[in-house]
Order: sequence, then C-alpha cells, then structure tokens
Amino acid sequence: MIFKLAFKNILGYGWRSLINVFIIALVLIGLIWMEGMWFSWLNLAKTQSTQWEFGGGLLRVKSYDPYDVFALEHSHAPIPAQAGNLVASGEIVPVLFSPAVIYPGGRMQNAVVKGIPSQQSLLRFPSQALMPTEANPYPAIVGKTMAKSAQLQEGDAFTIRVKDSSGAFNAVDLQISQIMDCPVPSLDQGTVWMDLQALQDLKQLPGMATTLALRDQSLASVASPEFKLIPPNEFFADLNQMVKTKASGQASLFVMMIFLAMLAIFDTQALAIFKRRREIGMLSALGMTKARIILLFTTEGALYMLGATVLTAVMGFPLFWYFARIGFSLPKGYDSFGVAGFNEALKFVYPLPLILFTLMLMFLLTVFVSWLPARKIARLMPTEALRGK
Amino acid sequence: MNKQIVQIKAMSKAFPTGEGEFLALKDINLSFESGEFSGIVGPSGSGKTTLLNIIGSLDVQSGGEVCVLGHQVKELSARESAALRSQKIGFIFQTYNLLPVYTVFENVEFPLLLLKMTKAEREQAVLKALDWLGLSDKQKSRPAQLSGGQCQRVAIARAMVKNPALVLADEPTANLDTENSLHILDSMQKLNRELGTTFIFSTHDQKVINYLRRVIRLVDGRVESDDLQAGV
Repeated sequence: MIFKLAFKNILGYGWRSLINVFIIALVLIGLIWMEGMWFSWLNLAKTQSTQWEFGGGLLRVKSYDPYDVFALEHSHAPIPAQAGNLVASGEIVPVLFSPAVIYPGGRMQNAVVKGIPSQQSLLRFPSQALMPTEANPYPAIVGKTMAKSAQLQEGDAFTIRVKDSSGAFNAVDLQISQIMDCPVPSLDQGTVWMDLQALQDLKQLPGMATTLALRDQSLASVASPEFKLIPPNEFFADLNQMVKTKASGQASLFVMMIFLAMLAIFDTQALAIFKRRREIGMLSALGMTKARIILLFTTEGALYMLGATVLTAVMGFPLFWYFARIGFSLPKGYDSFGVAGFNEALKFVYPLPLILFTLMLMFLLTVFVSWLPARKIARLMPTEALRGK
Repeated sequence: MNKQIVQIKAMSKAFPTGEGEFLALKDINLSFESGEFSGIVGPSGSGKTTLLNIIGSLDVQSGGEVCVLGHQVKELSARESAALRSQKIGFIFQTYNLLPVYTVFENVEFPLLLLKMTKAEREQAVLKALDWLGLSDKQKSRPAQLSGGQCQRVAIARAMVKNPALVLADEPTANLDTENSLHILDSMQKLNRELGTTFIFSTHDQKVINYLRRVIRLVDGRVESDDLQAGV
C-alpha cells in the first residue's frame, strides 16, 4: 500500500517530481562519467607503462634508486650469463642508465642517457630508430617534452658526455633520428635514448645493464643476486600516488556534485514535506501511524532515486557509449601540467562496483534527506500538523 | 436508551505559554450517546476545536477523564489512538483537507486502505458513499477541479465511508455559502437518521445550530449550557 501511495504521490506532483528526478539523474551521469574517466585513465597509464617500460616483468639492479641521482652512476650490473640467449632472442631487453651532460646548440644541460637494444621488439619503444647508419652512426631518440626543453628537432646533432667506468669523461656526437610521442613521462622528461651497445662502449661497461624487461615474470629466474624483481605495485607506486593525489581533487568535485543533488532533493522533498504538514496531519487524523507516514515519505525519496536511475540509463547511455567507443583525447600540451599523459584517445571503462557504490550512496542519501524531515513532522501532534504550523 | 459513546469527567486542557500556561478547557463534564446530532457552539477561542480534538484522540487532556468508545484517551499509545481513529472515528474539517493529488474516488477510498479491506469491498463502499453524497459523477475529478461545497461533500464521504461510530465535524460550513451549507447539513442529517451515525459539531454558524438536536455552549473553556432543541 505504501509503495502504491508513494508512487501515486510522485505521479501526482508531476513537474516537481520530474525536475527532482532529472537533477538526480544529471548528477548520477556526471559521477559515473567522472569515475569512468579516472578509472580508464589509470588503466591506460598502467597499460602504456607496461607496454613501454615494464613488459611482462622487470628486474632492476638493487643499487638503483630513482630518487638519488648520484646513485645512478653506479646503478648497473652484468647481465646474467644465463640470460644471454634470452637477450639475443628478444625475450629479455636490457637497458643501461647513466647520468650525462648534453650540449644542444652549445648549451649545457644535465640529462639521463639510456641505452636500449635497437633490435628489440618486446617494448613498444621505437628502438629501431636507434639502428646506426652510415649517415648517422650515433642515432638518438628523445621524447617531445625533452625535445622542447632542449630545443632539439629531428636531424639535430649534439654532444653528449658521460663518465666511463675508469672515471674518465667520454663524449660523442649524437644525432636525433626520431622525436617520439611517448605517453610515459619518465621515459621522456630529461632523457636521451641511444643504442645499448653504443652506450656500453662509451661507458666502457660491456655486458652491463640497469634494468631487464622480461617477456613474462617466469623469466625472472635468470636474475643474478645484483638484480631484484620489481613487483607491479612497487613499479606503479608513483602512478598510484599521483592518481591518489589527483583523486583527492576529484573527491571534492564528487562531494560537491552529491551535495548539489542532495540540495535539490532537500529542496523538493524536505521543503515539500514541510509544506505538506497539513496533509501529514490529515493522514494522522485518518488513522495512519507515525511509522507509516515516515515510511510513505521515505519511499517517495527512494522512488525518486529509482526514477533517476532509469533516467540515467536512458539519458546517459549515448554519452557513456560515445566515450567507451570513440574515447576522449586530452588537448595537446596536457602533459605539461604534470599529469601522466597519453597520446591516444582514452576509451572509458565503467567499473561495475564503482557504479553500484555510487548508486547505493546516492540511494542512501536520498532516503536520508526524505526520512529526516518526515520523521520530524510525524513527531508533531496531529493537531499541530493540521494547523500547518 | 442509547449507549453512551463519549464520557467526559472533570476534564481540563492547558497549553503552555511563555509565562506559564493557558487553560483552554475547565472542568468539562459531558456525555454523548450514539445517534446524537449535537454541537459544541461558542465564540472563537472558547475551546470548541480543542474539545473536539480530544474527543477524536488527536490531542490529550491535561486533567480529568475522557472515555471515547470504551477507550481512555489519555492511556492510548500513538499506535492505539491511530487505530481508534482509523476504525471508529471520522473527521470533517473546515478546510476539507483532501489529498490534492488523489481523485475523489481515491480520497474517499483512503481510510479503507488503512483498514486493509479488499479491493472489491473498498470499491463497493466508496461508490455507495459517493452515491449518498451525490458525487457519483465526480469520482475521477481531483479536488482542485471541485467547488468548495463539492470538496466538503467529498470530505463527508471520506469520513462516512468506513461507517464510523462517531463523526467529528469542525466548522464544516465555515468556508461555504448558504446554499452549499444547507446542502451539506441536509446530507449529514440524512446520514445520521438513516445510518444512526453520531455527529458532534464544533461551530458558531447559526445555520448549523438550527440543525442540531443538542447544543452545548462553551464560553471561555467552560460549559455554559447544554440544551436539547425542541422541534429539530
């Protein structure tokens, strides 16, 4: 009976109910869209980091500390002998890191130089451009951000200087063979890429590497004591942290949107309930118990949410579908705001648990803002409610 | 002799005010028998509505005893007084208090929903009540589409549909013109005569007073007179 009465009331209040349902639906669409974007962004960033750097697993020398530039000079170890065949077959990709000074256009700039085998195909990195040619015996790749900061263009040559294993400084002229559009900032910013063999020669570190990217984690058994396996959660710790930081901003927006929705429901529900005091008094006079009166108004709130969920599905479907299929591209230069960027359209994924959580949260809040004023008015003596005071 | 359905003994009602309390009803001693067509009359502020509310268990007295249909009003819990109102008492208010989003049929049907009657039983009772009040052609209308007189007739149908033992009518003609008032009063008198329903009015409208068989005058919260009207 209560459900039927509440449904009848909602239909009876026509436009007011529709506006209420519409506002809740808009907020739901906004919240689901936002959650889809953040979830997909994190997913894409992880996928791209995996494809460009992590592979199926990553071994890293124990002495490497990404936050200590001075440790970088010594962060290398011999590629394990048992990995030799796997390196040759491309199952394992060794990468050597070294601090360097570059001289683009006669200017001096600190950088990190990384050597990667030019024949590798395990990582998505465009290493084929590092294949030496007659015209360009020392090719180099930089990312767009690095190219911009060092004012380098394709074909530009610059000197690079590194310290070799004996402590002497060696230098060579590199020529930019490709400026890559790299979605992983750590592979772009302040980094120059060259062929592994060429860097090992320059550093006089034959057979040395800083990291070993594996096709799959089972290959980690080849690791020598100098290398340790980096678990995905450690590798993605920075990314997760960054997302967490950004998420706090998102949370404020989330709360603000929910607050606006609640304000809308409060306006139509709570104020309407106060306006309907006389009606509540009459229901009481007709013999409706307080509990039933509260239940009636709370059910109305729940029905608003139910209507909003249906409307969200109807109104939101084209939008959700568009962003899932066509995707969303960030404007150029978005990376410069310090966000891990992506160079392809972000196709949204809408995780079911998050959507269910949002719906449940909105449902509980809607029911709460309906229950609260109804409870207050139902506590009045029927005579007071009938007077509308 | 008819059965006594309301007994009031040494009843008083006080309302708290900023400085202390205001005694709205003082030492009320009354009883009503079933089938009465009575009215509590008096000027505004004399305590008519307060007395009616207490009889209807919408409010409780501060002192004395009020027994309605065998129940001590003060001893009833909120749930019990709701059950008493739902099953045995009908209310008619000056401002009709119809539920605006419901049709005439649904408004009249509402008290029966609380009594958990079947759909067929409800439909039969509602149509009968609407027929009694001459509203059969208005059952699909909403209150906003009706005149004041029609709204009040819907309110009477709603009060009568469950065949209550007692109907309490608080200034039922206050918002109506003479013609509608007389029509309403005729309807209620007919219901009283043919169904034996007890009516207690609160009014200061002479038109209503002319219809009453018993007139109880309240002045400043006290019963000044309690007379049977000859020839009514």
